[in-house]
Amino acid sequence: MQKKRSFKLAPLAGAVGLVFAGAQVSTANELDLDISLIIDAVYFNTLSTGNESPAGFSSGHHHHGHSHDHGHGHSHGFDEGFNMGHSEISIEGTLGGALKGVLMLGFNDKEVEVEEAYLQTLGLPNGLQLKAGKFLSGIGYINSQHGHDWDFVDRPLLNEYLFGDHGLQETGIQATWLAPTDTYTLFGLELLQGETSGVANYIGSQGDGRILKDVSGPRLVTGFVKFAPDLGDANAAQFGLSGGYARSYQNTREHSLRNEDWDGTAWFAGVDGVFKHDAGRSYGHGDWRLQGEYFYRAQDVDRRDVAFEGSAVSNVQSFTNKQDGLYIQGVYGIAPRWEAGLRAEALGFTNKVGRGDGKTEDTSYRYSAQLTFRPMEPVFLRAQLSSIDFADDDHSHGNGLEFMLQLNVALGAHGAHRF
Amino acid sequence: MTHLLPKTLPSLVLGIFLLLLIWALPGTVVAQGLQIVTTTSTLGMLAREIGGDAVQVRVLAPPDRDPHYLDARPSFMAALRRADLLVEMGADLEEGWLPVVQTSAGNPRILNGREGHFKASSHLQLRRSITMDGPNLGHVHAEGNPHFHVDPLRIAAVAMPLAAHMGTLAPQQESAFMARAEQIAMRIRSHAAELREQVSVGRLLMTYHEDLDYLEEWLPVALVGHLEPLPGIPPSARHLRTLVTELAELRPGVVIHAEYQPARGARFLQQELGWEAKSVRMEPPADARLEDYLDLMQHWVDALK
Repeated sequence: MQKKRSFKLAPLAGAVGLVFAGAQVSTANELDLDISLIIDAVYFNTLSTGNESPAGFSSGHHHHGHSHDHGHGHSHGFDEGFNMGHSEISIEGTLGGALKGVLMLGFNDKEVEVEEAYLQTLGLPNGLQLKAGKFLSGIGYINSQHGHDWDFVDRPLLNEYLFGDHGLQETGIQATWLAPTDTYTLFGLELLQGETSGVANYIGSQGDGRILKDVSGPRLVTGFVKFAPDLGDANAAQFGLSGGYARSYQNTREHSLRNEDWDGTAWFAGVDGVFKHDAGRSYGHGDWRLQGEYFYRAQDVDRRDVAFEGSAVSNVQSFTNKQDGLYIQGVYGIAPRWEAGLRAEALGFTNKVGRGDGKTEDTSYRYSAQLTFRPMEPVFLRAQLSSIDFADDDHSHGNGLEFMLQLNVALGAHGAHRF
Repeated sequence: MTHLLPKTLPSLVLGIFLLLLIWALPGTVVAQGLQIVTTTSTLGMLAREIGGDAVQVRVLAPPDRDPHYLDARPSFMAALRRADLLVEMGADLEEGWLPVVQTSAGNPRILNGREGHFKASSHLQLRRSITMDGPNLGHVHAEGNPHFHVDPLRIAAVAMPLAAHMGTLAPQQESAFMARAEQIAMRIRSHAAELREQVSVGRLLMTYHEDLDYLEEWLPVALVGHLEPLPGIPPSARHLRTLVTELAELRPGVVIHAEYQPARGARFLQQELGWEAKSVRMEPPADARLEDYLDLMQHWVDALK
């Protein structure tokens, strides 16, 4: 599928130097590394403005004390006009067939961020594999995919609002076991530090009188099972079940005279499924795929407000926030090298926010349509129109319409995609 | 609010995980003989004929689909999980999907360079691939043209090293494997020699992709070009018109393409220049025996007549 070449590092020392400013590459001639570069550009245009955030998920609650707040409150943080999208550089190498190392850096015009940096075992027998480092969690289906592999320009709402701006991306260890059965059955377990804003937000002790306290990691544990029956040459499917528990979920908000702190636990669970049809024609013509995910999340917290002056305590309560999300999408190869897709999303079928007297917010929706053209394999051009029907806190809905045009090019040894 | 599940939680989840493992184990089937997984059905045919009753063969790539463009399916990983031997074409034919299947199967025996990995291209001299000189676009096959299953003489040449490799995994069967491989190679070579007589010498040949080029290696045809401007890049209308201009000076020949490749370009040459347009099967059936591969050779020759 993708062209792939092994590059010696030395000729690319300049490119790598960009990333590791000042890194020593003098002994690099002996290293065999696969390097790939994905350049992504997005033109974004709001045709009509609706509500900024879905009710019950306003960014003010979840992003405090978290470094990844992109500040827009807006789903994907694109500016009007031209944007760097999900550009990435990835470097992969193996150590004697026993270990694989992956570094994946995401960047835009302002910052470079480590998206993934992990070691994975290849040499363990009996279906066991271990991964350690920073990686995208194996829960759900789309969570472990990078933007280049998505069928739409943006991340599904549930992945962003129930987990975080980068989905569930954590530092920790993952163990998986592939059962020796005729039907693909994979079990996974992850011990993670616990920093993701939606399910494991962590702040740590804030001193006298406040309820927030230090909790040592790992604070988040997740598990998943994936099951994929063999459906023959033309069809393939995979179904997943996953969940997680964070023994620390913390949040804080500064009001005019007091700090409002939440301290507790959170858990989530969900199901995912994907079905792919391969029509056996050229350049994806007639192929189609369907995928969907549902996740439920509960944050079970104690709240205590403490005044800035005098440490007077007020608003002591315990409550649980219960929220969920769903998306389903389908993509069809309408002609050789052309794909069209539809996605329907809902956030907050269950949308109970317990703060104060408690409140049930309305459900927010988003509907997207995309058209993708692949002039050649490593290049795609995608147009997407999204109709945004976010509920507001006062039960009013505002309809927005957004247009996006994406250009995505993969250069170098861009390896195979996982199913 | 109290933390009901303190630091013991990880071990609790680990316990549940282990219980799930035990639950899944009864699904395990006891394997009979050497478990061989091949990427293509031509390689499957070879392994099956060489191994006889001593092996079980599973082919991954459907024979009617382009082996460049497969998904790394979970069912492929399940197949490799318990395999004793993986047999691949190599030269980057399966590069888009096989590496991730290998590294996700949890079976270190079938990783590159290990005892359970056999790469056919390593035992052959391949035709040069256009991509070795060309711009960095489309497919890149730095080791040479990977579609050598279209050349029976090269497939015959793979039989002996494959039998020797299988013999290292089942030493008591080694002599039987080697004897059968020799028989298979002889049958293929003599069939190729017979078929050679059926094709008129100097027949001009155009192919869609640089795959059926290998017909030139064992048949008296002369390859004059490809419909694709570069391997993996589909021909534009303008490119096809350019081809027509270039080919107009030659006597008409035959333009053939795989059944999974678009027929439009071949039909255009047929209309404009009177070339014969033919679509062919590329691989024998997934459960092929030697006879099926010999039939496929005949099928290719029929398209050239």
